[in-house]
Amino acid sequence: MDGLTAAETRELEQRMQKQQMKVFFGLFSNLVDHCFMSCIDDFTSKSLTGRESGCVARCVQKHMALSQRLSERFQEYNAQMTQQQQQQGGGFR
Amino acid sequence: MSFLGFGRPQPTSEEKISAVQAEMKVLTQMHDRLTKACAKKCVPNDYRESELNKGESVCLDRCAAKFFDVHMKVSELLQQEMQSKGAGGGGFGFGG
Repeated sequence: MDGLTAAETRELEQRMQKQQMKVFFGLFSNLVDHCFMSCIDDFTSKSLTGRESGCVARCVQKHMALSQRLSERFQEYNAQMTQQQQQQGGGFR
Repeated sequence: MSFLGFGRPQPTSEEKISAVQAEMKVLTQMHDRLTKACAKKCVPNDYRESELNKGESVCLDRCAAKFFDVHMKVSELLQQEMQSKGAGGGGFGFGG
């Protein structure tokens, strides 16, 4: 992460923004797939039933909570790993 | 015998930027896999409730810890396997 000039950092940020869009759409489509597969089994009508749309709403909400919780654990783990690497003598540059 | 790091070729801007990008990509993918795996293991998919209950939350925390453990374990074992099988002394060192 270190040793980037200001221009390089700017270029990196631009690329990250593009990547973030991709990541966001990835999350979105995963969620659609997951909630569709979990909540929708009945094809006797073409509109969502009350039960189905309730299930989808709960599915989305629950996944938000779930992914937030896992993100916290993930960040803790990353911080721990970074610390360990630094203690082991900086690794390579 | 390299004075002042003369022997080491300087990475170009492009190389440095794509290295950071690659690192971010690996992290994103790992986060994605973690979420999928632990959602599958800990949260039933009938969605009667929109909140995580106590049991699910605890399960997610433990699941994350175990996922990281398995990640480390597999990479260790794989490395051992490669070392014992592959040409001895090859190693992964960058320039030397």
